[in-house]
Parts: sequence; C-alpha cells; structure tokens
Amino acid sequence: MTRALARMAAWRLAFTVPLLLAVTLGMFALAKASPFDPVRQYLGDRAVITSPEVMAQIRENWGLDRPVAEQYLTWLGNLVQGDLGDSRSMHRPVIEVIGERLGWTLLAVSCALVLMLVASLAVGALAAWRRDSWLDRLITGTAYANEAAPVFWVALLVIWLFAVRLQWLPPGGLTDPAATTLQPGDVLQHMILPVAVLAFSQSSWLLLFVRESLIATLREDFVLGARARGLRERTVVVRHALRSALLPFITLLGARIPELVTGAILVETVFSWPGVASASVQAALAADFPLLAALTLLATLAVVAGNLLADTAYVIADPRVRVLGVS
Amino acid sequence: MTPFRARFAPLAPLVLIAALGLTACAAPTVPQTSSKGSPGDTFVLGISSEPDTLNPVLGYAPDGGSLLFDGLVSRNADLSLKPSLAEKLPEAGGKTVTFTLRNDVKFHDGTPLTSEDVVYTYQAVLDEKNNSSIRGDFAAIESVQAPDPATVVFHLKYPYAPILQRATLGIVPKRLLDGQSLESAAFNTHPVGSGPFSFVSWTPGDKIVLKANPSYWGGTPAIQQLVVAYATDDNVRATRMAAGEFDATVLPPKAAARFDGQPDLTVHQVPSADYRGVMFPFGTPVTGDLAIRKAVNLALDRSAMVDTILAGAGNPAFGPIAPGTTWHNPAVAGSAVPDQAQATQILDQAGWRTGDDGIRAKDGTRASFTLMYPSGDSLRKDLALAVASDVKKIGIDVRLAGLDWDAIEPRMGKDALVMGYGAPFDPDYTNYELFHSAFAGQGFFNPGNYKVPEVDALLEKGREESDPAARKQAYDAFQQRISDDAAWAYLVFLKHVYVVRGQWTGIAPSVEPHEHDTGGLFRNIAEWKPTA
Amino acid sequence: MAATFPTARRTAPGRSRRPSRWIAAGLLVALALAVLLVPAVVQLDQQLVDLRAANQAPSLAHPFGTDEVGRDVLLRVVYGLRVSLLIGLVAALVSVTVGTVAGLAAGTLGGTADRVIMRVVDGFNSVPHLLFGIFIVALFSPSATAVVVSVGLTHWTTAARIVRSEVLTLRARPFVDAAVSGGSGRLRIVRRHFLPHLLPHIALASVLMVPHAIWHETALSFLGLGLPPHLASLGNMINDGARSLLAGNWWASLFPGLFILVPTLAISVLVQYWRDRANPRWRSELQL
Repeated sequence: MTRALARMAAWRLAFTVPLLLAVTLGMFALAKASPFDPVRQYLGDRAVITSPEVMAQIRENWGLDRPVAEQYLTWLGNLVQGDLGDSRSMHRPVIEVIGERLGWTLLAVSCALVLMLVASLAVGALAAWRRDSWLDRLITGTAYANEAAPVFWVALLVIWLFAVRLQWLPPGGLTDPAATTLQPGDVLQHMILPVAVLAFSQSSWLLLFVRESLIATLREDFVLGARARGLRERTVVVRHALRSALLPFITLLGARIPELVTGAILVETVFSWPGVASASVQAALAADFPLLAALTLLATLAVVAGNLLADTAYVIADPRVRVLGVS
Repeated sequence: MTPFRARFAPLAPLVLIAALGLTACAAPTVPQTSSKGSPGDTFVLGISSEPDTLNPVLGYAPDGGSLLFDGLVSRNADLSLKPSLAEKLPEAGGKTVTFTLRNDVKFHDGTPLTSEDVVYTYQAVLDEKNNSSIRGDFAAIESVQAPDPATVVFHLKYPYAPILQRATLGIVPKRLLDGQSLESAAFNTHPVGSGPFSFVSWTPGDKIVLKANPSYWGGTPAIQQLVVAYATDDNVRATRMAAGEFDATVLPPKAAARFDGQPDLTVHQVPSADYRGVMFPFGTPVTGDLAIRKAVNLALDRSAMVDTILAGAGNPAFGPIAPGTTWHNPAVAGSAVPDQAQATQILDQAGWRTGDDGIRAKDGTRASFTLMYPSGDSLRKDLALAVASDVKKIGIDVRLAGLDWDAIEPRMGKDALVMGYGAPFDPDYTNYELFHSAFAGQGFFNPGNYKVPEVDALLEKGREESDPAARKQAYDAFQQRISDDAAWAYLVFLKHVYVVRGQWTGIAPSVEPHEHDTGGLFRNIAEWKPTA
Repeated sequence: MAATFPTARRTAPGRSRRPSRWIAAGLLVALALAVLLVPAVVQLDQQLVDLRAANQAPSLAHPFGTDEVGRDVLLRVVYGLRVSLLIGLVAALVSVTVGTVAGLAAGTLGGTADRVIMRVVDGFNSVPHLLFGIFIVALFSPSATAVVVSVGLTHWTTAARIVRSEVLTLRARPFVDAAVSGGSGRLRIVRRHFLPHLLPHIALASVLMVPHAIWHETALSFLGLGLPPHLASLGNMINDGARSLLAGNWWASLFPGLFILVPTLAISVLVQYWRDRANPRWRSELQL
C-alpha cells in the first residue's frame, strides 16, 4: 500500500512541474495581452495628474519595454532562485504579502471546510434518515436554494441580518479596530460570519450528496443485515451506512478545491478579510503580475495537493484499493 | 511590547489554527457584547482607502495629510501656509527659495532632523530611479542644496510661485534610506518620521497603529494611541461606526444620514474643492460646437444631482475653483436648476433642428456624443446617467460607456468623459495642465485639446507672478474665459462627510482636496482635545 | 456553486416525490414569458433616470421599488434577467461545444492525444475559475462578449470529462465493435454511433451550465468587471443595491438576487426530474 501510494505521489509531483510552468506561461501571456497598465495601477489616483513622461520613465525602469520573452525568462529565473519579486500594487516583496495573508486565508478556509464537513454530514445524514419527512424537504429545499443563490448575495443578506439589523456580529475585518494586539477571541468573533457563509455556500452539494449516497447505502445488504441483527437505528446509520457512504465523498472533496478558492475570493472581498484570496482580485485588477503569478502558483499547488490528498484518503479508506493496489 | 507582537504577526494565524483547534471552529461561539467607544486613550479612525506605502518620497500624503511626517510648511484651516519644520515662511519670488529649519526637531528614533534629510527627501523624489509617483509635481526644481545643517536652498528652473505649497511634503531620515532601493525598502512599511504620531504597526488590509510622539516639537497630542483602520466598503464603515468600533470615519453622504442627530455623534459636512464635471473633446463636430456645450450646461439639473446622488452633501459646480477659497471668481456662476427654454433657444439659433426621432441634427450631423465614465466609480456612473437623462430632454443624445481607465485613455480625444479633480491650495494645481495648450492631448492632461492662446497667457502669468493680487486677477480672467467657452460642464463639488464620536475641541474643517485619507478633517487630529 | 448538482441515484424511480416540478415549470414559463413579452410592451431606456423619484419603497406604481437614481427595479430586473439568460445560454453553448469536441477527441483518439487533452483539462481546472475569468474579462475590457468568452474558456472541462467518459463506455459496447469490424472510420463512428448516444448528456450539461454562466456574469459584475455598470444586469443591480442596503433600501438588492435564485432553482428541479426519468443510473461525472 505504501509503495502504491508513493508511486502515485511521485507521479503527481512529476506532473506538477510542467503544469506550473504552463500555468505561469499562460498567465504571463494574458497579463501582457491585457489592457491593464501596471504603471497606472501603481500610481493609483495620482495617475491622472502624473505627466506621461514620468510614466514612461517608470515603465522603462521596470523593464516593461523589453521583449516579452525576455521579461518572462528574467522572472522565471528569479522564481527558480526563490525570489518572487516585488508586488507593484502593494510596494512590497511578494513573499511578504503572501506570508502575511496566507495564514488568514488558511485559517478561514480550513475552519469553513471543517464546519462544512461536519454540518453536511450531520444534516445530510439526518435528512436521509428522516427521508421524505417535512424535515427532509426543508433541508433539501434549503440546500437547493442555497446552491442557486450567489454567495456574495448571501453574504450581503447575512451582513444585513446579523450585523446591521441584529448587531450581533461585526460585518467585516479581522479584529476589532481598537485592538492593537491579536486576541484569539476577537479574531474568532470576526471570523464567524465569513467562515459560516463560506461553509454554507459550499455545503449544499455535499449535504445532498451525503443524503443520496446514504439513502442508497441504507438499502444495501450489509445495512439490512445490521438492522436484522437488531442493532440500534443510530448505530446502523452512523457506524455502518455513513461510513461506507463516506468514501466517494472524500474523493469529491479534493475536486472541489477550485470552487472553495472561488468562494474564498468572493467571501473575503465582501467581508474585507485580509487573506490571499481577496489579494488575488486586487492583483488581477492591478495587473500586478509578480503577485498574481505567485498567487496563481499557490492556487494551482493547492488544487494538486487537494487531489493528491483525496486520492490518498481514498486509498487508505477503501479496503479494496488498499489490498489490490491503485488501479 | 507591540513591536515584538507586530513582528510575529504573520505567524499569528498559524498559531491560532493550532490554538483554536478544529473543533472550536465548528462550535458556536457566544458573541461578545460590542464595546461602545474604545478604551482609554485610543482613538480609532475608519478610512476608506489604505495607502500602498507610508513613504512620502513614493507619494504618501504629499499635501500634508500624514500624521507621521512633517513638511517644511503646513496649512492652517483657512489653507494659508504656516511654517512647520521651517522657522518662518520664506520669500517665494524668483528662482531661489531659502528655508531656515527649526533646530529642535528630532525623528522618532531620536536622531536630529537636519537640512541633509530635507535635501535627501527632495532629491529622492526627483531621482528617476525611484519611480516616485509625485516627481512631476516638483518638476520646477532644478536642485536642492544644504549649505549648513539649518539651511535648505531650492534652485528653480523657472519662477514658480506655488513651490511653497509643494513644500508640505513629509521629510524622511536620510540615514535610514540612503543607498537603498526605495521601491522595496523596509522603511515603506515601518516608517520613521518626525510628526506628532510615531509608527507602531501595520496589518496590511486592516489597520495602522500609531502612538503619540511625547517629544513632538509642536506639543504631545491628547490622543495617546491612534488606530487608522481601513475598510473600503462604505456600508462596512457605517456599520462599524454605528457599532462603536470607530470613533470617527468618513462616509458617503447617504450612509452618514443615519448618524444625524444621534447623541454623542457629530456629523461634519466639509466643503471640498473636489469637483466632478464633463470634459468635452474639442476636435469633434458635436462637442466641438459652442452651442452644444452651452446648451448641455444649461440643461443640467445640478440641484437634483446634489440632492439625490450626493444626498445633499455637495454644491453645484460652475467652474474648477471651489467657492470658499480665495481664488474663486464669484462672477462665474449659473443656475442650479435647468433652463431648458434657453438651452433650446441656443440650439435652435445655432441650426440644430429637431429630427423625427426627437434628436437634433445640423447639416446631417446628429447631436449625439459618447460620454465615458470609469466603470468602477459609481458616483461618476450616476452623474453620467443624470447628464444623459437631462440633455435628452433638449434633444441631445448621449450614449454612455462605462470603461476602465486603460480603455478610456485612448478615446479621450473624441469622446467626452466624467472627470474629477480639485485641490484648494493653489489655482495652478492641475488647471495649468488641464487647460494649457502645451499639454493638449497628453494623457489625462488637457485630453479635449482645448487650445486658447489667451488662456495659455493667463495660466503662465499666474504661475510666474508672485504678487497675489495680480495672480488673483489672472485666475479670475481664466475662470471667466473657460466658463464663456463652456470648456467643461462642471457638475458638482462634493462635500466630504465625517462622523466623529465624543466632544472635541480643535476640530477645524477646511476646504479639502480631491484626495483626503488622514488629511481632510483628520489632518490636525494631533491638536484635538477632549472637552470635559 | 450553481453548476454542480449532486447526482441523483434515484432510489425509487417509480415514486417521484416532486410535485415541485410543476411549480418550477410554472415559474420558468412565467419568467420566460416576462422576459420575452415585457420588452415588447414596455421599453426600458437604459440611460433614463429620475433623480426626483429615487429610493422609493415597493408600491403599486413600483412593485419592486425604485433604485438610488429613481429607476424602476421591476422593469430593470426583467431586462436584467433577459441579458443574464442570453449571456448564460451563449456561454453554455460555447463551453459545451468546446468541451464536446475536446472530450470526443480524447475519448476517440485515445493514447497520447487523450493524455494531452486530459492534462490540459487538469491544467485549466487547477486555476480558480473566477480568477481566470477576471483575467480574460480584463483582456477584452468588460463587455458581454468578454463574459461569454471567460465562462466558455473556463468551463468546457466539465463537458469534456463527461463526454470522454461516456465515449470510453461506448467504445466497449458491442455495436461499436461491430461498426469497426464493418470498416467504419473514426469520423463515421463518432457521427453515427457516439453523437446520438451522447446528445442527452450534452444537452443536460448545457442546461446545467446556464445557471452557472449566469452566476459568473453576476459575480464578475459584482466585482465591477462584468457588463458596463449602467446597464440593467442582475450582477450590476446587486452591486448597486449593496450600496443602499444600509440606508434601508433592501428591495434594490433583494429582488435581483431572487431573480438569479428562482430560475436557477427551477432549472435544477426540472433537470433533476428529467434525469430521474431519462437516466436512472446517472453517474457522478457531472460533479467533477
């Protein structure tokens, strides 16, 4: 099993390098072809009162007038040496920008992921167990509606309800502005809305999938057998059916990473959460190539890692694959 | 204490992940009751846009909006200049300007501020390698010299009266920057200045923390700790203000309306020189026709724009220089409500006849033009919509185009554009570039190719003349002339709206420029004192 | 997000517990009629505002209220849905066409071609779609075409995967063997044998792609990168409405959101029903 796993991981890693190269090349070409002017974005509001001569000088200093291939190779060379360059829109080394923000995104996304898993499993199992009851209808109906609703709209409604109307939770940001140090409780409170919205927006398909899969499993022989042996209903659902229904669910999870990133982009933007996902929108709008390229690489790595994890989990979880090896 | 924490701030989320554990995320947390107001001597400002850099050389708060840095001069509430790092205001005639520095000024790290630092600051701005976004503002400077530690001499390429206005630029310590690449210097995020507040920490995307400078030459601020929190979204700022997280914030007029008349809160509507207007291209048959431009100007319902789009926080605009500043020419005025009869008459006389589709035409040319607005700017979008609706009533067809700046730039020579500018400090600012024929067609300077020799002469006279009365005369004539030519259709001057919690003395609103950040109402926050 | 609805391993096909499909169909028909007929009766001048009638709460004259510059929200929502549906349909068509061609090529040619195409699919899937979309829109500067291209170029991979896996299943079927031994060429097999079997899957993928394309248009507009902001589109309206939410104007953002939610939901209910009927053993590819 370990050998099979190792072989799969090695195969994936070997594939990652050309993939990353292709992605960077594609992004570079797009950035070059795009009408966004990095110099104008760098100057911000002042662009309209800066003389064209000054702008031309900055362009020259940045090497933007050299051939595209040369710019790409220069950048790639630095990248290989571990130098990600300076973010133009934020005026700081890219590595610093990412270092500062990545943790916040990981925090929010991982919490959302856990919340989504737990909630979908629990609620999905509940719906399957109480199939066709009003509760099931309520749950599936909400899930379908949620699936159809744009996450930024849901986020706005949530802000409206919890921050404006009820004033229970802060509408955005990372900490209470008056706080000069990071207090876990403070961050936690600011995290509730974005994490909940992110988890909620991603949970529908999972919940419905768990429900369907569980309903199918509940009718399989081994479950019927367990029931026949007189085991408690809860034990049947949780220990037998859910466990076996979990398997395809794990593999699907890895494939959802891009959607999770997309969700994070919108949620971070609406809640002004200072993570990398919202920074990627700013970077794209500013044609801030060094930052954008680094973030794209990061997203690509996350997707590859997600797939690898999903497959690993699949191998470990499925006794058939474990015994017979990876197909 | 705080610097240590700040340094490890990037690690904090990871520690938090570990600390909270994964179960904590799923578990519902009891929300804390939101604190009303901030504890002790901390004051929290909610600001809309975060600066990219805190280095004045790279363009941070050049008009004195920085609380971290001092310029050679600063401004009173009535916008007149007062000495700051300079001992007194120097004479600004001719091509040489000499400043004498105060001798009691120290940077926050304790080193004295000398003429070397001043020279370094200006040279760094002018150094092409540094990519400073404000280099163009100092184009008049030939060289800067420091004959002794307390004296700075500016040599100008040509007589330039507004040089004193430009001397509000914050001075940076040479010792910490000399020989570094300024674009990625650590100083940009951990600045050391000489201003009333010193830097504590910056959480990018969130806030900057400052603390009072106990040895400030102008006296220690009453506010001991100042937090400048950034939230781009207007709704978010308004909500956080209502929740008591902010002690003061800047809001669009609509969002500020709910704070009117609330106890302990004061809404300040501060007039500004920040205008929005329609720039007409002169090279096309429709907007190049004086009759069309005049008719558009007459047909606009500026009072409805102020009432609805600005929720009352604005003034109708008829020229580029704000009422309430010394340079404004009161003779340039108009009616805030539309005068369709006169507009129609002008068009009829000029030969623009109404066609079958309700749109006028003259010699086969339809009275139709494109009006562009930057697609990310909802204020300009709403104004553009209002303009299109208003002029449709007099038979002029305006087609709107919401574009990004990069798409707008190449089209400015043939399509009209909703633009915004305005600095109250000196009439030379931007107007020279916007209306002088030397800048015709150069990027965002004079994009409509307005070329009138008389206006050129007036602008040159205003720039080089040092006698204020003669300058005033030149700029009055300039304002009258561009109004007669209807070079732009000026729409509104914005009022910047601030909400402040608590009772303070020392708040001194003044006419504000286009950009305001910690400038504007907060520019003298170091002088605010709580009452009682 | 909108496109990927869970597979329905319908356990009791004989017993459809979805009277909601009639409601869904009714709503869709009503919306379709509104979108088709209202513009014929009431013209919307996209540039006309009435500053003196701004921010009015829902009333008889304006059932959905007016927005911050005095435009009728109901009329704009209908026009917005029309624009969004149109963009959604075209974008779905583009992405499914590209995906079908790629999937057919991969499945039919096999070998190196298959591997290359699937690696390209992986490559496209490893960049977050929204970010990629923002980039493409930036390339063309915001417009309907840009949104269509952006959705089409990022979402063909779903259809490609479905088509490829269906082709692989079909290849193993006896009638394909028969055709090959009968001397049919690749193109003929694709045309005569694969396409007819694939059509229902392709059609379903297209229908599912429509709500997703609408979602993308609104998300891009919400970020300020979609259609020109003065035009009536659902994303633009939510973006505008978000600003006046705090002043109490809930109607300006609530209704455009509902007009995204309702048709998306209705389509998904109908697709679910169709899938139950047409293909009880629907497989999980649609989710990938």
